[in-house]
Amino acid sequence: MAEHEFASAVDDYLTRAYDGDRRRKVLDAEGWDAGLAAELAELGWYSLATAEDRGGIGVPLPDLGPVFTEYGRHLVVGPLLEYSLLPVLVEGLEPDAAGRPPALVDPGVTDDWAADLGSVSLTGRELTGAVGAVRFAAQAGELVVVAGETVCLVDAAAPGVRTEPVDSADPGVAFARVSFESVSAHTVLSDRDLAARIRAWARLLLACELSGLAQGAFERTVTYIGQREQFGRPIGGFQAVKHLAADMSARVAGLRNLCAAALDDAGEASGADLELVSSTAKAHAAEAAVRVCEDAIQLHGGMGFTTEADVSWYYRRALALRGWYGDETELRRRIGATILTHERQP
Amino acid sequence: MESLEEFRARARSWLAEVEPPEVPLDLDERFAVLRRWQRTLFDAGWLGLAWSREAGGGGLTHAHQLVFVEELVRARAPQPIGLIGLEVVGPSIDRYGTDRQRRELLPRLLSGEDIWCQGFSEPDAGSDLASLRTRAVADGGSYVVTGQKIWTSWAHEARWCALLVRTDPAMRKQAGISYLLVDMSSPGITARPIRQMTGDREFCEVFLDEVRVPRSNLLGAENEGWAIATHTLGSERGAATLRRRVELEVALDDAVDELRGHGDLGERARAAVGRAHVAMRVLDAQTRQTTARLLADTGPTPLDSVDKLVLNDVEQTVLAEIAGLLGPLRALPGSRPAGLHSERWAHDHLYSRAASIYGGSAQVQRTIVAERLLGLPRG
Ligand SMILES: Cc1cc2nc3c(=O)[nH]c(=O)nc-3n(C[C@H](O)[C@H](O)[C@H](O)COP(=O)(O)OP(=O)(O)OC[C@H]3O[C@@H](n4cnc5c(N)ncnc54)[C@H](O)[C@@H]3O)c2cc1C
Repeated sequence: MAEHEFASAVDDYLTRAYDGDRRRKVLDAEGWDAGLAAELAELGWYSLATAEDRGGIGVPLPDLGPVFTEYGRHLVVGPLLEYSLLPVLVEGLEPDAAGRPPALVDPGVTDDWAADLGSVSLTGRELTGAVGAVRFAAQAGELVVVAGETVCLVDAAAPGVRTEPVDSADPGVAFARVSFESVSAHTVLSDRDLAARIRAWARLLLACELSGLAQGAFERTVTYIGQREQFGRPIGGFQAVKHLAADMSARVAGLRNLCAAALDDAGEASGADLELVSSTAKAHAAEAAVRVCEDAIQLHGGMGFTTEADVSWYYRRALALRGWYGDETELRRRIGATILTHERQP
Repeated sequence: MESLEEFRARARSWLAEVEPPEVPLDLDERFAVLRRWQRTLFDAGWLGLAWSREAGGGGLTHAHQLVFVEELVRARAPQPIGLIGLEVVGPSIDRYGTDRQRRELLPRLLSGEDIWCQGFSEPDAGSDLASLRTRAVADGGSYVVTGQKIWTSWAHEARWCALLVRTDPAMRKQAGISYLLVDMSSPGITARPIRQMTGDREFCEVFLDEVRVPRSNLLGAENEGWAIATHTLGSERGAATLRRRVELEVALDDAVDELRGHGDLGERARAAVGRAHVAMRVLDAQTRQTTARLLADTGPTPLDSVDKLVLNDVEQTVLAEIAGLLGPLRALPGSRPAGLHSERWAHDHLYSRAASIYGGSAQVQRTIVAERLLGLPRG
């Protein structure tokens, strides 16, 4: 499936070393498996886009897209976004000596639920506030905090930082609530566009991951309906099933193409364009991936409703990622607002 | 016979006085609480209202049953735990059972003392149920049963199972099937719970290895179980449609109550509630027809399949709209985004995906509609 150089290496490795029992174990542990994190770091996957002089390979950021698609397709979970994206964008965020991931404390993962999530404010270098849902905060060494539009860095163990793990319904992610009581940031970054850039790239990579989830659920389904027999023949032979599978196939291809195009455009884009490109990809991914997974469950019958079937994990993962950095409803509104208020390019 | 108005008033005042239990989310706790609740309902005479008196029922009509379900839900009281017995299997035993079977089995089914399960589906016989292979061979006063069932809800808690078996492998698919009432504590039965994507372990794989079942536990005649199975599935669809309608109505009311006073979602909440509301009205209109058919006792018709399709769709729409309002916080079960209980709505939304699979999948219902209602060619 993977046409991309890195992505096919990732695909090969995961097929050999991850698919099967191991994946199930990681999924059952809410996505945090220190052994897996160390292994992927060792393979160099986290530092693909990190500059060469900082120990990485220095590939352009859009090349991470196909890798995230493979992560989705193989149901790889854990702080992938945090490990791979944050050190590339955030100056001064050095790799952790103990291999711990950084965490992104961002009350801006959503517009519509902002009030439920909390907020953080910055006065001078001092942070105050709380965010109710931070991915992998309890595992993190360094916190990248977005306060208003300013990004700053805080040691997770700094005085005044409180991290309380909370239950997670996302099989890929351990969550914590993070609060700051007059915490002093050790670095405050002056780049005013950084927060927007982090969010846009998070959105794009999540869209790619969702595209992989849809792809994986679809592949499982095609195999299943070719094997499962009822009424003396494979259920894939019934027109009702064929039609659903054909719809899924079109949705999966459409989403993959949109992600590829968005990654192409994103390399060059900046500011408002990057925002629009990433929002468009994520809006479509949120809706299409969930829909494909629902059809996948439907075509697996009772089996699809169990945790023994991969499709149920794809579905719960897709549902969890759908709302992270905007679901279709929220993003459509943003896109609409952008298009209505911005000047048309000639 | 007590008039419907009198009956409703009596049900309402009883429900106002008794304190209905809170339903825990944890499956085991939920089971225990709802089983006690079933006993309370039974002792007060509210279960099996339309069943015969010798079966421990109320000797009233389906209309009374319906009124009680409405009042129960209206009072925010939960359903009893033994729904498979009460709605699915019980009506068939009452209709096709011998006097002894009715007398011995049904009062305990009603009281919740015996939990029942429905052993129809097999690993290779789901939509194509009539291809089932679990064998029952007559041997003296018993059948010896060997085979495997799957997706059997509550099998690990059940004392009894309504089991479809093949008694004559030589006959055509539907013929040669018999309907056995099997004591789950018989030697040779193993039930292994399967974890559902909701996290619950509500259904099981059931292995039967040379299980001896007394011939007196045959329901109806040998090799004529298919007609009874059809009756069982028909009761399941009819009763479940009506109950789900009221339950969904209450679920939407609950969600609206939770959302009130949280202005944050504004336009979005309005759009979601609007869409869910429209879907509910569609279901309501549809089930009026169902009620009329149920009261007239018309028996199974392809219109039941239309009902089921409408119900699936509405159930999935309503719960997807509500759960959609959890946004990214659906991943945090302990959160209350916009006032909504994240864990409850995420759970109920996942469960809604089963609606188009169990009791005959949406595709199978579409085929029934196309062939039997629209008269399109079969095959
Ligand atoms: C939550 C839950 C509880 C359940 N509880 C019970 C229970 O208590 N007792 C019990 O006996 N069973 C129970 N079931 C099983 C249920 O009845 C079966 O899952 C259902 O009949 C579908 O069978 P299957 O799972 O084998 O799917 P399959 O029959 O393999 O179907 C897979 C897919 O193929 C499609 N398909 C199959 N045949 C055709 C066709 N001819 N034309 C078009 N499409 C077709 C189906 O629509 C479906 O999308 C339960 C299921 C669930 C999900």
